[in-house]
Amino acid sequence: MADVILRVENLFKDYGKFQAIGGISFQIPRGRVVGLLGPNGAGKTTTIQILVGITLSTSGKIKYFEKDFDKNRQYCLQRINFTSSFNTLQGRITVWENLLVFARLYSVKNPESRIKKLSEELEIMDLFNQPFQELSAGQKTRVNLVKSLINDPELVLMDEPTASLDPDIADKMLSLLERIKKERDLSILYTSHDMDEVSRICDEVIFLDHGKIVAQDTPLNLTRKISDSELKIMFDGNKKPLENYLIEKEQRFSYLNKNTVVIKTGEKQIPKLIFGLGKEGVYITDIEVFKPTLEDVFLEIARGGKNDRKN
Amino acid sequence: MIERIKAVLIQEYYISYRSIEVWMDNIFFPVMTALVFGLIAKYLSGENALAADYLILGMSFWFVIQIAQYSISLGALWNVWSRNLSNMFISPLSLTEYMIAQIISSLLKSIVIFGAISLMYYFVFNFNILKIGYINFILHLINLLIFSWVIGMILLGVIFKYGTRIQALAWGSIFLFQPLAAVFFPVSVLPPVIQQISLLIPITYVFEGARNNLINPVINWQNIGMAFFLNIIYAIISTFIFKYLFNKSKETGQFARNEG
Repeated sequence: MADVILRVENLFKDYGKFQAIGGISFQIPRGRVVGLLGPNGAGKTTTIQILVGITLSTSGKIKYFEKDFDKNRQYCLQRINFTSSFNTLQGRITVWENLLVFARLYSVKNPESRIKKLSEELEIMDLFNQPFQELSAGQKTRVNLVKSLINDPELVLMDEPTASLDPDIADKMLSLLERIKKERDLSILYTSHDMDEVSRICDEVIFLDHGKIVAQDTPLNLTRKISDSELKIMFDGNKKPLENYLIEKEQRFSYLNKNTVVIKTGEKQIPKLIFGLGKEGVYITDIEVFKPTLEDVFLEIARGGKNDRKN
Repeated sequence: MIERIKAVLIQEYYISYRSIEVWMDNIFFPVMTALVFGLIAKYLSGENALAADYLILGMSFWFVIQIAQYSISLGALWNVWSRNLSNMFISPLSLTEYMIAQIISSLLKSIVIFGAISLMYYFVFNFNILKIGYINFILHLINLLIFSWVIGMILLGVIFKYGTRIQALAWGSIFLFQPLAAVFFPVSVLPPVIQQISLLIPITYVFEGARNNLINPVINWQNIGMAFFLNIIYAIISTFIFKYLFNKSKETGQFARNEG
């Protein structure tokens, strides 16, 4: 069994009468990327802030490397790191100076060579002499990433690291993360609003809503929980036989226009429906199938769907 | 531990070196103010030479307090403004290590500025601060520094707890003590009620003692001891207050919210 890097047990956070986190428990094994998803106000950022110790929990246990975080703060923080689009480095000083400060804060041996090695990997060598505040969003993200790897961490907590990036840079950053994760057997806790991003890099996804875990599984299994796919059929001629057939088969459908119908149905039903409609004499001109995505799961949870929720 | 303290000090050096505001606040404004006070003192010296010396002495020692307190409070604000303070406390850096680094940094800055101003007063206005006596000078300096660290620490805690909306306190509130501690004039000038408050402030004894030392440089252990005693009480109370405010800011989420 893989060793557990982070174990969160029954974590609560109350702000007066408002409960931001309502008793969440999860763990991150070594080498796994776990996504923390949820609508705004779900408690993602609060969870991360508690996990790195800048916000105090009301109750619950946090263990890194099976050691209690409260009692072994320095030991734990020495072996993890954090990056966020909401935090930046010191703007007045140069990239090199910032990285040197953090290398010393983490007591890195041979800080200069460590910084150079990482910077070469993440292609920021040419930024060394620039003040951090003068960098573009993409450059800042890369420098932040170097900072978050400076102590060779076993776990990196990432709070919406691509939030301020354009799609091209975000894609590069994700490729980079995929490579780093593979090379270093790195564990990552990743929050994001971008479902494609999460589907791409996360091995497991935790959905938070109102501070509670409402779903937790692999991205694939989560999408499977939404049984309905969308079948879009374009047809020629009379719609009566099509309508009759769909009503007979108790299918939910709606028209996009007079020759296009959208049917919400189970994935396994799709071949049968197409075959049946053909037999009924419906002249099908085109077919499109939309399988549920992680975004559909997210939307269902965000809109209050209860069927997939775990209590 | 030493490596992390060094890291904060190196960062302080980089920020100071690269920020014109730091140069203006820590060098230009103090030197200009000291120069103006020197000139006023020179003008007054014909009428009342002792009052003129009081002004120069008060100004010299005042900058020890102002720079040291400013350095501690502003040191954190530079990182809050850059949204970098959380990053620092997410590293293994402890609050104690951070405060030790800030105290060392403030000590270095205030000694450099105090030294520069003292040299200016010596060469331009013929005022030698060491005429109060070497030991008096060192003991007064220690008391002034402890007091400024106490105030800097409380202000830092208040900023952590209430956020940057009250950041002006960091550079403004120390001036409350300028009249209360009778920095430029004898305590007897203050109204009787205010005198009672004044006697509860450690630096009142420093300024009062230093003024007396201008005439008689014999060490007044009672004055120095009282300042030190009050400073220790202030330091103990302020450490508790600071820790309470820091924890409270983490409890309410304000510490993380400070950065956006």
